[in-house]
Amino acid sequence: MTQQNKKKKKVLGIVCERSVDLKKHIKNNKLKDKDNVAIVEMVCSGMIQPIMIEEGFKQGADGVFVMGCQIGDCHFREGNKWCQDRLLGLRPPNIKKAVDKNKVRGYWLAKCDYKKFMEKVSKFEEDLNNLPAPEAAKAAVT
Amino acid sequence: MYRKTLDKLQVLTIAFEKLLNKVFSQQYNPFYYHGAVPNLFMWTLFVTGLLLFAYYQPTLDSAYISVNYISTKIPFGGVVRGMHRYAADAMMITVVLHALRVYFTDRYRKYRWIAWYSGVALFLCMFVIGITGYILVWDERSYMITLMMTDALKAIPLVGTSLAGLFINGEVITHYTMAMSFFLHVGISFFLLYLLWLHYLRISRPATDVPLGLGLLLMATIIIPAGLIPVVSGKPAVLTETPKEFPVDWFYLWIFPLFSNIPAMVVWTIVFIAVAILLLVPFLIVDEQKSPATVSLDNCVGCTLCAKDCPYEAIYMVPRTDHPKYKQLAIVIDARCAECGLCVGACAFKAIDLPQKHSKEIIAKIGDVLKEPITV
Repeated sequence: MTQQNKKKKKVLGIVCERSVDLKKHIKNNKLKDKDNVAIVEMVCSGMIQPIMIEEGFKQGADGVFVMGCQIGDCHFREGNKWCQDRLLGLRPPNIKKAVDKNKVRGYWLAKCDYKKFMEKVSKFEEDLNNLPAPEAAKAAVT
Repeated sequence: MYRKTLDKLQVLTIAFEKLLNKVFSQQYNPFYYHGAVPNLFMWTLFVTGLLLFAYYQPTLDSAYISVNYISTKIPFGGVVRGMHRYAADAMMITVVLHALRVYFTDRYRKYRWIAWYSGVALFLCMFVIGITGYILVWDERSYMITLMMTDALKAIPLVGTSLAGLFINGEVITHYTMAMSFFLHVGISFFLLYLLWLHYLRISRPATDVPLGLGLLLMATIIIPAGLIPVVSGKPAVLTETPKEFPVDWFYLWIFPLFSNIPAMVVWTIVFIAVAILLLVPFLIVDEQKSPATVSLDNCVGCTLCAKDCPYEAIYMVPRTDHPKYKQLAIVIDARCAECGLCVGACAFKAIDLPQKHSKEIIAKIGDVLKEPITV
């Protein structure tokens, strides 16, 4: 395999401030442990507009992940459900078809899940590195 | 300090629920249906209560006999009676868990105050229903708690005597006492429905039903004990003999041991203060004032997506005539708005926004954040 890219992928995370507690782990809007991961915090994952995800790619992100609380446990009752449905294309407004769904992820984690979160982000980076050259594929939202 | 403790409790609650997720899976975690579970028990109580109602006779002479008749002669009567009792206990447990969960996870104040207040009212009503329910059996315990409650009510200054008169429906215990207990038991049960309506007010799509699997499991937890450990009455009440002891139901009758050990007025004061504290709790933490969502008149196309997605029924659509093409406009009810931004996520036209966290700012921030170079 020749896909051992040394270059780190630029990843954007749009996260709910009530899910994994990142306050201690962020510096200059980047994860301290992985400075190629930029984080933008939201009031609730339900506030994330598809345009924001598209904007991430427009501004040069290689991958965008969205993070909300565990499904069933949204502080604002339904935010993470709506957000998940939008990622899956079940709820309008939809993400543009031009966006490669392989480069979008949704994580639904609780406040104390930092370790799991880092694992998922690492996995995401790996997946991005293993992506074949631009080619459309089916949606993969975990 | 208070706040920090609450934050810790929130993390603990969430960690506990994660543990439960491993047992029940996310879809069936009872804590994700903490409001629907008491609701299930309440409907169980309504249905079993209706069945008991068919054979129950609310008079001093026949109450005890009719309850025993239900227990022993009617097919499955004992099971229905047991379910009625155990569902009541289960409802009390789950209601307390529901309240604690809501409290620990900070979901009881601000725009949720109506739910909290109606919840307190529902909780108090449950005690009245519970206590009068225990009177209906009319065994020694029923007689005892009637006497104790009458004395305790009489201790309240000014209104006490009339309250006691209302409670036993006259000066002394008569057939009308049973009629009154029956009325309070059934009447306030129906009043719960009104309070529940208040409880669900301002909530779009309240989760009132548990998934079938979880529902069956929860029903099993009351039907199996009802079959195995039947609920039985004590000795029949005899008006000429005052019983000395009775078994206490710690879910509904905890106030009676207090009455026998502490002067009634002190107990009432404690209850009053406790309720006052419960009513004050939502206002103990004051957050900085933020601004509810605002709709841009120029951008709104009247697509109703935000109104559909709002979890608090804070957005409604009105017809508009000022625009040649768009027929509707979204209006935000400020007092209901939770400033959660779900409407922003639902809007594809940049028409609704939180002034303190505008979607334009966020999009700009996404650009800024990604421009910063990566240090390899």
